[in-house]
Amino acid sequence: MEYISIMFMQGLSFLELKYHTLLSYLINLSHVVLRKVSGASIYNEPCIDRLVELRTVLERLRPIDKRLKYQIDKLVKTAVTGESSDASSFRANPDNMVSKLDEDADENEDEDAATEKKSVYVPPKLAPVRYDGDESAASRQEKLLERAKRRALSSAMVRELREEFLDAPTELGSRVDSGAGPSGPSKEDRERQEYEETYFTRLPETKDKRKKRKLPTIGSLANELTNFESDFRVLEGEVMPTKKRKSSKKPTGKKGKKGFKKRKSR
Amino acid sequence: MTEGTATIRTRKFMSNRLLNRKQMVVDVIHPGQASIAKTVIREKLAKMYKAPADTIFVFGFKTAFGGGKTTGFGLIYDTLDFAKKFEPKYRLARHGLYERPKTTRKQRKERKNRMKKVRGTKKTKVGAAAAKKGKK
Repeated sequence: MEYISIMFMQGLSFLELKYHTLLSYLINLSHVVLRKVSGASIYNEPCIDRLVELRTVLERLRPIDKRLKYQIDKLVKTAVTGESSDASSFRANPDNMVSKLDEDADENEDEDAATEKKSVYVPPKLAPVRYDGDESAASRQEKLLERAKRRALSSAMVRELREEFLDAPTELGSRVDSGAGPSGPSKEDRERQEYEETYFTRLPETKDKRKKRKLPTIGSLANELTNFESDFRVLEGEVMPTKKRKSSKKPTGKKGKKGFKKRKSR
Repeated sequence: MTEGTATIRTRKFMSNRLLNRKQMVVDVIHPGQASIAKTVIREKLAKMYKAPADTIFVFGFKTAFGGGKTTGFGLIYDTLDFAKKFEPKYRLARHGLYERPKTTRKQRKERKNRMKKVRGTKKTKVGAAAAKKGKK
């Protein structure tokens, strides 16, 4: 017993435990085999219980063993080759960091395909966009026509005609400035109102707004008066709705008509 | 000048407990008249909300184009102390609860530059009065 106590004075290391259990397992197993070979029964044998117990211990040891496997293999290798003085032999091995699962094969294929098409840059499609694929050309035309008709019905010319021929009382005044357009305040005006009422502040008047207040028909009166061809005939179905074109601005860019830069007149 | 035909309506009423006040958007409808004075609006709000008129602050009145309707903002504080604490100085000055210091910007800067020449407690003695006498 003294011998045993000396051996286990510093506790039982993991590896020693593993060896002892394996050894006991083998001994018990050989005992069972001997009994079977000599024709004796192994019913209610104590060695079966011991075997089961040892087997459980081994099963529990296995995951820990797996975790220690790399270190133990490394140490064994250095012990065998005798190169323990070279510290760089303990450096990390990046090849082991690549996962050895099935995804690996697919990723490699995709990378090769992508690198071939390096010429054209395609930005990633992150934001959701309206899907127009299911709409046929005919239905699109129909929708455009309907929208043009609605626009024509609420245009200035039609409104004036309505005022002239219908008996409804005329509505004045309240719908200017913030209620400017035919359908009430424009989106911008509505947003400004919302902001002002939520945050209890008054936003300052922009330059365009001030100009519009002083000269309300600047730039827009002539267009309103002369732009009545497309409005009416869409209602009757005679003309297909044309794309609205914004009035082109005068070229105030770098070079004027004659080819030299416009100088600021003193 | 016809009087008393103005209607006051409040919208978006909210009681702001963080600033100890009630805040709302005030619509004044006054067809055919000029826009109503703020003091009159305050009195009417005082009657509506049963609060003393000196804790009511109204501002930001804009008349819609064509006249007849004016929209602004109104705040009703719980007490005058909270009003003095939370209101910006210019609005308190409109009610006479705050006086701006009368020194002009130029005078303040000159005083600062005079103070730069002196070290220590003499800075406070470099008063505007002393230097002005000297300059005169």
